[in-house]
Amino acid sequence: MNAPDRYERFVVPEGVKKVSYERDTKIMNAATFTVEREDHTIGNIVRMQLHRDDNVLFAGYKLPHPLQYKILLRIQTTSQSSPMQAYNQAINDLDKELDHLKSQFEGELAKHTRDY
Amino acid sequence: MEGASYQRFPKIKIREVKDDFMKFELRDTDASIANALRRIMIAEVPTIAIDLVEIEVNSSVLNDEFISHRLGLVPLTSERAMSMRFSRDCDACDGDGQCEYCSVEFYLRVKCLSDQTLDVTSKDLLSSDHTVVPVDYSDASSSFDNTPNKGIIIVKLRRGQELRLRAIARKGIGKDHAKWSPAATVTFMYEPEIYINEDMMESLSLEEKTELVESSPTKVFGIDPENKQVIVVDPEAYTYDDEVLKKAEAMGKPGVVEIHAREDSFIFTVETTGAVKASQLVLNAIEVLKQKLDAVRLSDDTVEADDQFGELGAHMRGG
Repeated sequence: MNAPDRYERFVVPEGVKKVSYERDTKIMNAATFTVEREDHTIGNIVRMQLHRDDNVLFAGYKLPHPLQYKILLRIQTTSQSSPMQAYNQAINDLDKELDHLKSQFEGELAKHTRDY
Repeated sequence: MEGASYQRFPKIKIREVKDDFMKFELRDTDASIANALRRIMIAEVPTIAIDLVEIEVNSSVLNDEFISHRLGLVPLTSERAMSMRFSRDCDACDGDGQCEYCSVEFYLRVKCLSDQTLDVTSKDLLSSDHTVVPVDYSDASSSFDNTPNKGIIIVKLRRGQELRLRAIARKGIGKDHAKWSPAATVTFMYEPEIYINEDMMESLSLEEKTELVESSPTKVFGIDPENKQVIVVDPEAYTYDDEVLKKAEAMGKPGVVEIHAREDSFIFTVETTGAVKASQLVLNAIEVLKQKLDAVRLSDDTVEADDQFGELGAHMRGG
């Protein structure tokens, strides 16, 4: 009856930013990114990628509530980096990893389809 | 200022490919990537499915919404789906989703005129686009019987009953409704590494070895018929049930076998509904994940807003 529309889960409403950024008021080089209409799929890969970064002191994400279709990603870095830089770096690295994965898969697939 | 790259170079080894099934190994990455791919294959790779049904005549025993629901669940060939538009952001039609860029029209007109029950199947659905048709399962090589394939039964009609309708199929994702999910099953497991401590194993009698081998609910171990040694037959049959380890402990020989999960190696199995090929599903999943990552990049105005705030912040901190 009062269930939210299904499209609410993946359509960003008008006037809402996909990613917003809020600096921590007390801790240096710490910030919270709010990513609208995303879930564990993005949250977890970005978090794990951030953990590979030596300048990242803390990276974690949460899905605050199953009916609030957003994730909060919190990053703290050393003074050599910044949350924003670490975030961009993580996304670039993941993107390149997927490019690599795609070419690997296509190469393997070509080998197998030739065997037919 | 650009930081060092922490990129990984994962490897893939395909073991088996069929049209609607594949098995492959994914190495040198972590569970987050494997799970993201699995989640996307199930819920975010787009397909085409019937989404709107206008019923003209329905004198069958099933009510209109029941038939509409069944039509929605019929898998349609969706190679076109990746390049198609979602009807909600199609500008060619004012969001009513009835144009060639975002929809495909189907007609179904059947009437039973004989005394025999007439099966209305997915083959009776007439498509306006020859690239989007109900999936044909007839050439499945592993056909277990030789009855002629008649498609997916939608409803059965008796003499005099009729079904006439128009249906609109649209692009969608499994997150919206499971009818759009191209995946039948997608699973991955950690690759197990099994070590047998040979010295310790030698101290067991043949009966004890047999007992140990048989303690596993799946056939992971076996006994070499020649030298009566315990060997690993199929490490991937192991379900991480710990039964063998518990048995070893109960026999007073903990450590006779050791099993570790390799946390950077995964074995994927992918089965599809036939809407897209299994290999294409994996490629589409990678593409969708790339698009999602692109969408979560920081926009320029966010960066600018922070730069100003950043200077102010630096000022306040006395920088």
